[in-house]
Parts: sequence; C-alpha cells; structure tokens
Amino acid sequence: MTAAILERPALGRDLRGLLAELLKLEHITGGLVVAPDGLTIAADLPREIEAEPLSALAATLGRELELRGPKLRRGTFPMAQFASVSGTAFLGSTPVGFIMLLGEPRADWDAIRAGLRAAVGAVYRAWAR
Amino acid sequence: MVFARIWHMIGGRRRQPTSAQMFRQAQRLRDEGRFEHAAELVETALLSDPGSVVGHLLAGSLHMTLRETGQARTSFERVVALEPTQPRALLGLARIAIEEGEPATCRELLSRALARYPDFPEARALLEVARGLEASADAKGAAAPSNGIRADRLRLPAESREALFVRRDATLLFAAPRGPRAEAVAASAVKLARIATAMLARAGLGPLRHAVIEGAAETTYLRTDDAALLTLAFDSDVKAATAVAHLERVWGSCRSELA
Repeated sequence: MTAAILERPALGRDLRGLLAELLKLEHITGGLVVAPDGLTIAADLPREIEAEPLSALAATLGRELELRGPKLRRGTFPMAQFASVSGTAFLGSTPVGFIMLLGEPRADWDAIRAGLRAAVGAVYRAWAR
Repeated sequence: MVFARIWHMIGGRRRQPTSAQMFRQAQRLRDEGRFEHAAELVETALLSDPGSVVGHLLAGSLHMTLRETGQARTSFERVVALEPTQPRALLGLARIAIEEGEPATCRELLSRALARYPDFPEARALLEVARGLEASADAKGAAAPSNGIRADRLRLPAESREALFVRRDATLLFAAPRGPRAEAVAASAVKLARIATAMLARAGLGPLRHAVIEGAAETTYLRTDDAALLTLAFDSDVKAATAVAHLERVWGSCRSELA
C-alpha cells in the first residue's frame, strides 16, 4: 500500500483516491480528510459515525497539535495516534488539512505509520508545486 | 440595429467579471490548492462587493487553510456584522476561540449558532469540548494545591527529555524540567487530551488512554485515565517499545503517588 502511494505521485492531489488507498491498510475501519477550517474534503466511515462532527474535532485536534505539538508546544507534528481500549485514531498533518484514520486495537502502528507518512509526503510534494 | 448588436458583443467581451463570478473562480482555485491566488481574487472581488457574506466567508475559510488566524477572524467578524447568526462564521470564530484558550467565548458563539440552527452537528461536537474545558478550569480553581511529587520516587528514564504529570483539571503535579512555562504546558496537555477524548467518542471509541505525538526531533508519549495524565518526551531515535515500557512503569509510579 505504501509502495502504491509512492508510485503514484498524482494521488497527492487526489485526496479521495489517497484516502481510498489508506483504507486498504489492515485493520483500518474508516478515515477522512478535513481542511484546517473543519470542512470535510473526503470521508469513508462506518455507517454509524457522522463525518461532519468527527471532521470538526479532527481539525480542532490537528490545529492544537500544530500550535503546541510535539512537546505540547509550538512546532510541527507530522503524525500522531490517540488510542482508547477499543480502537485508535491516527492523525497526519498536511498543507491542505489533516488525514485521519480509524483503526482496530490490533492495527499495526508501524505499518499505518509508514502508510500515513507516505500519504503525508505525497500531499506535501503535490501541493507545494 | 446591426451596430447595436456589434456594440453589445464588444461590450460583453470587455465586461469585467462580476463579484459572484470571481468568488466562483476563487472556489475553483481553492479546490485546485491555489490558496494564495484564491485569497487574492476574493480580496479583489470584495473591493467591489464589500457586503458579500459569501465573499467574507470564503476569505475566512482560505485564511484558516493558510493558517492566518488573525485575518480569518477579521473575515468571520465581518460576516457576523452582516448576518449575526451566520452559522459557518460563528463556527469559525468559535474554533479560533478554542485555539486561543477561550472556551467561554467559544461556548457563547456556538450557543448563538445552535439557537438559530439546532441541527448543526459540528457546532454541537465543539460545544461539548468547550464545556469540558470550562469545567476543567472551574475545577482547577476549586482544587487544593498539590503537595508535589518527588522525582526520585518516579524513577524517570535517563532517555526522557521532558516529563509532566498533571491532574485532569490541569493542576500540575510534577514537571521535569520545571520551567516557567510548565503550568501552561500542563494546561495544553489537558486540553489536547480533552479534544482527543471527544474525537474518539465521536468515532465510537472509548476515552483516551494512550497517545503518541511525533515531532521532527522527538516523540511525546502520553498516558491518561479519568483522573490524571502523564507525558514523557524522547528523542525520535528511541524505540517505541522502549518508550512505551518506560511510560507504563512511570505511570504506575505516578498513580501510586497520587493514591
């Protein structure tokens, strides 16, 4: 999956396509891409989860991390994960907004990290032009 | 008659685009990721149409995307001056208030939006966060001062660059190193945990228990429950398994101290 993103740089502009690639990662149950102002750009979530409020909170969390991360102070944060006993939310920061993935507790952080890192890199490269 | 038609055609070709056309063009530019160009076009269009709610909203959204918070606030305030219950502008201002640590202002703005538009799920989600942050601030004001926790009893790992142990009401219990900004950092950590908990709840997951925040040079590991929160920062080259093992051990010590 990470290779698929790296081999298709155009995916960095096609945020829906990029999200679809990320959703192929094992034990990922859904995800979204949200602009810094909280507007949903793309979402593919389990039916019971509403996209708009989740997007609003993902963008709020992303901005909080941009303003105060990584040492909970001002800085950059390429990626973060937030886990409960029943699952994990993965968050990546890009110039156009934030990518959030939802994973089962058994999701492999290293594999997701590699995929999310590739996706974040693809977006940076595509939108910097 | 023929002359009139030709004149009309020439005039039509020379006609400047209307502000509505320029806003539509700016939206297209935004969708293509050309945010600066879109913002410039909106600014030009607003010169001829300064009362456009659509234009100021678009400007606010673009400034947020460009992370220009002050300009975004100005744009959203102009919208609210033109249309006092415009929900997107109130939400935009509420989001800025949360960023700037003003949950009471955020709550007031969202309440105004929801009074007019009760079916506004984004506003409801953010309102829960604002209320939680206000409750934390109130609880902290009423809490007894901490007696402090001894660093030697926590056995902090040598690799840890920064450690913070804090009650969920943002009362700082322990910080290493303890600098002048330790209290502010503790408040930020609690705020972050509260937003993350709200987000996990909206995703159908339980309350936050662990977090890992990667930075360019170091990674922060966070452990929390309903009562307290611990963060340890390590250089990025420290293995995650090692860092998590340290985190769990120090967390156990911290919880014992708190008990």
